[in-house]
Amino acid sequence: MPQREPYDGPILEIEDLSISFFTRLREIPAVMDFSCRVMPGEAMGLVGESGCGKSTVALGVMQDLGVNGRIVGGSIKFKGQDLGQMTLEQLSKIRGSEIAMIYQEPMASLNPAMKIGKQLMEVPMIHEGVSEDEAYRRALEVVEDVKLPDPARMLNSYPHQLSGGQQQRIVIAMALMANPSLLILDEPTTALDVTVEAAVVELVKDLGKKYGTSMLFISHNLGLVLETCDRICVMYSGEAVETGSIEDVFDQMQHPYTQALFRSIPLPGADKNARPLIAIPGNFPLPHERPNGCNFGPRCDYFEAGRCDAGDIKMHEVQGVERHKTRCLRFEEIDWDAPLELAETKTKGEIGDVVLKMDNLKKYYEVAASALFGGGNKKVVKANETLSFEARESETLAIVGESGCGKSTFAKVLMGLETATEGSITLDNKSIGNTPIENRDTKTVADVQMVFQNPFDTLNPSMTVGSQIIRALEIFKVGKNTDERRQRMLELLDLVKLPRAFADRMPRQLSGGQKQRVGIARAFAGDARIVVADEPVSALDVSVQAAVTDLLMEIQRKNKTTLLFISHDLSIVRYLSDRVMVMYLGHVVELGTTEQVFQPPYHPYTEALLSAVPIADTSVEKKHVVLEGDIPSAMNPPSGCPFQTRCGWKDKVAGGLCEKEVPPVRILAEGHQVKCHLSDAELAAMEPVIKIAAE
Amino acid sequence: MEPLSTAQIIWSMFIQFMPVWVALIITFAVSITFKRKLGLYGKLFDSPVGMVGLFLVLFWVFTAFLADMIATFHPIEDVISSMRRKAPGTAIPNPDDFGYSYFLLGGDILGRDVFSRMVMGSREVLKIAPAATLFAFMAGIILGLPAGYFAGKLDTILSFIANLVLSFPVILLFFLLVTPEIVNSGIPRYMAGLLFLFPIIFLVILLNSRYYTQPPLRNMLVGTVVVLGGWVYLGLAWDADPLGMITMQGNQLIVFISVVFVNSPTVFRIVRGMVLDIQTRDYVAAAQTRGEGPWYIMLWEILPNARGPLLVDFCLRIGYTTILLGTLGFFGLGVSPESSDWGSTINAGKGQISFAAHIAVPPAIALMTLVLGLNLLADGLREESLKD
Repeated sequence: MPQREPYDGPILEIEDLSISFFTRLREIPAVMDFSCRVMPGEAMGLVGESGCGKSTVALGVMQDLGVNGRIVGGSIKFKGQDLGQMTLEQLSKIRGSEIAMIYQEPMASLNPAMKIGKQLMEVPMIHEGVSEDEAYRRALEVVEDVKLPDPARMLNSYPHQLSGGQQQRIVIAMALMANPSLLILDEPTTALDVTVEAAVVELVKDLGKKYGTSMLFISHNLGLVLETCDRICVMYSGEAVETGSIEDVFDQMQHPYTQALFRSIPLPGADKNARPLIAIPGNFPLPHERPNGCNFGPRCDYFEAGRCDAGDIKMHEVQGVERHKTRCLRFEEIDWDAPLELAETKTKGEIGDVVLKMDNLKKYYEVAASALFGGGNKKVVKANETLSFEARESETLAIVGESGCGKSTFAKVLMGLETATEGSITLDNKSIGNTPIENRDTKTVADVQMVFQNPFDTLNPSMTVGSQIIRALEIFKVGKNTDERRQRMLELLDLVKLPRAFADRMPRQLSGGQKQRVGIARAFAGDARIVVADEPVSALDVSVQAAVTDLLMEIQRKNKTTLLFISHDLSIVRYLSDRVMVMYLGHVVELGTTEQVFQPPYHPYTEALLSAVPIADTSVEKKHVVLEGDIPSAMNPPSGCPFQTRCGWKDKVAGGLCEKEVPPVRILAEGHQVKCHLSDAELAAMEPVIKIAAE
Repeated sequence: MEPLSTAQIIWSMFIQFMPVWVALIITFAVSITFKRKLGLYGKLFDSPVGMVGLFLVLFWVFTAFLADMIATFHPIEDVISSMRRKAPGTAIPNPDDFGYSYFLLGGDILGRDVFSRMVMGSREVLKIAPAATLFAFMAGIILGLPAGYFAGKLDTILSFIANLVLSFPVILLFFLLVTPEIVNSGIPRYMAGLLFLFPIIFLVILLNSRYYTQPPLRNMLVGTVVVLGGWVYLGLAWDADPLGMITMQGNQLIVFISVVFVNSPTVFRIVRGMVLDIQTRDYVAAAQTRGEGPWYIMLWEILPNARGPLLVDFCLRIGYTTILLGTLGFFGLGVSPESSDWGSTINAGKGQISFAAHIAVPPAIALMTLVLGLNLLADGLREESLKD
């Protein structure tokens, strides 16, 4: 490793930074009056919703704002030197060696045509001119440091031969090759699955300590920042609104936005009636439509006209606490400990009869080894294995699992886009498992609908919102003529709480949350009785998630809908579901009521999932279960228990049974089933993963 | 009378083109005023490249429309034998018999006005190129959509045919098509019969998939298309218009179908590729889960969202088609020998190029500027469609 001169002053010092992007219409200020300081060895978390300017700050530090972006004020100092004054040559010396950056998408930072080893070796060879042997030795060392198995083989492979988690580890290794003083991580784990994310976060934390690197950690996830950082800076609409140490900001927040943010995310241990999610009203302002004065003003509960909207607001020091600042005029007047005003307690709808029943459902795909000329060996992908469950009227059944667990396949079979290989699906005593959608009658199709994950993809960009809903009404044969359908469409917009004027808008004029609402309206066009919601809020900003979640539940109460809620976010699952089904590689590994699943005894995979979810609450203590390796491919599943390759409890089962046999379904309690070989005694001895410290 | 000087020639041509200038100024003024409301077309006025391209294209479009006002002589009938190969700006001997006293760009081998022939030639090109490209798009889209959407065997077969057509030498194909034996065997007619069917099929499927939920409206729309389309179809493809109004010359028909035939496989490939990309979107899945038919999904959910690249390719392809028409004209294929189309004019002037360059150069410049304009327009569209 190259040794760096020890430097005691701040590694990164940003003062009054303003960055604007220039489009042909106007100047768009992306970051305004932003200041922060990162000391040696310190990890700084930058948190905010999309569009708040957190990534722009990172790009500003790298001096890589593209053609349209320009720093219009303030300075960025790295180890006391102003980065803005440097020549390109000086900058390129610093970038990649003193400051390294890790991006969201690992594949985008790796050259697909070059072997991993060569890419890693380039770093010291370019920056320090070391010999090839020396570079190879170092590459080997770093790859070991990021805990990749078989380093020598890793160095000799191409990026596409690795999984997403391994790629991100390589990117981290590449950043560490130069032993940088500052590491910028821009949402480094957003593209990864939760259990893989947990392992990568753990790695970043350890390496930060080992190398003493300062970090700027950009994320939208408060829980992740809590786990990785020492200090936090909350951004809103281009401005830093609150900055301070993690404990100060999490426990004694001094800005209404921070408070609202915390109130809108579900925390474990809080039940939905005592601590309901509170959505932040209104929408994120567009950069050119920012209000006068406080940007958060229009959405703030403590807004005072004539004062908060009078003029620019500066950062204020919070008295008595070191380095804790807030951009709020009224922070000293607000009673931060005031208890939440409880919204009216909502009674849950009575759970009714069984509507949907799956029995031993299996879905296998045949994949030809060579697509070009057909023939050849055929491989069987077992996407769903013996799926059996029931769903009742006005019940929320959560389906939890990571990518490749078969939840999308299950949804496809239910919707009729694919037919089941074996087993049956019954809807109201009518078998639909083998009826493809074109043979289903209108009623059945309208009864089973879906809400999709990606709000930017769920609406056809070339059609107005209204006409898309009307089209669904036409297909479901709702309404006799165009006028009736139009009327019904407007009522549906009311249902999802969108203004009626939105009917004539194009999808691109809507925000993510609004699009998702339209998607919900469309799904309910034919009075759907079963709605499959495929991660409906995971792509939305936290402040909007709560509102959309509440909307779904409200409609459910009104229409007695059965909601199949697919998600990997256990916090939200716990918040809203009645029963939970955990899936892994096509198998249902655990199924039970929410209380049963979230308390021991767990299936080992459930335990790991629970531990992997980052929780934004300093009073929560978590047991650390970090899974080794990645999810195996469904093309080539492990023998025996699907989870045995990553399970930490495997050695507790005698005779290597886990590798030989798929465990049978065991009933642990009324309605609680687990697929595991562990003995009853072992299961009973499990400790809860999440503990809430006594207050 | 004295011949005109170069400056006088340029000035006179400028005056002759006056209707075009007026039309251009009006178009640009209106478009720039309302550019924020005109979508992608409006954005074109933010890109200098796009504006130049649009200017060149519109110049020739307006010229084609207003050619009767611009041309100083009749391109074929006004033959003044003493004006053979005369230099640009030469005065004609008997100005009283005609409306104009000069051959602005000189005379050709037979003594016809080069300027008027060039102006009238734009009509020949613009009559065929855009329409032929449009037909090629219809055929390419109708075949490309299902190939991409259903994949499998259908895709394999259609792609194979497309590759087959693409690998066949274009010029050879044209020579074959105009051979009297082949013409007499009726092959071009049958090809026209097939290719001209695509636009009608396209429109019928388009409307039916959208409006089948409202049968009265659907019946009216589809009926209109079938009646009108069928009428035009009979006239163009089979020369059997019962009213005798619509017809197409045999040699023009051959040019038309050859151009459609060689262009559609490329469009097919573009569309197929776009479908493979767009069909993974959630709104396609949403349409599938509410039980929409495949054609609705292809034509109303996928195609509109592929319009950007298709529009750009459309502009480029009109350019290629223009060149192709020039090439065909140059080889004397498919056009009457008298025709003022640019390709034939260049061919006619090629022998004289060393001593009377003015015969071949003006149509060549005209061809070049039109194609250049189309390419720049495509560039502008591509650039602007990527920006917000």
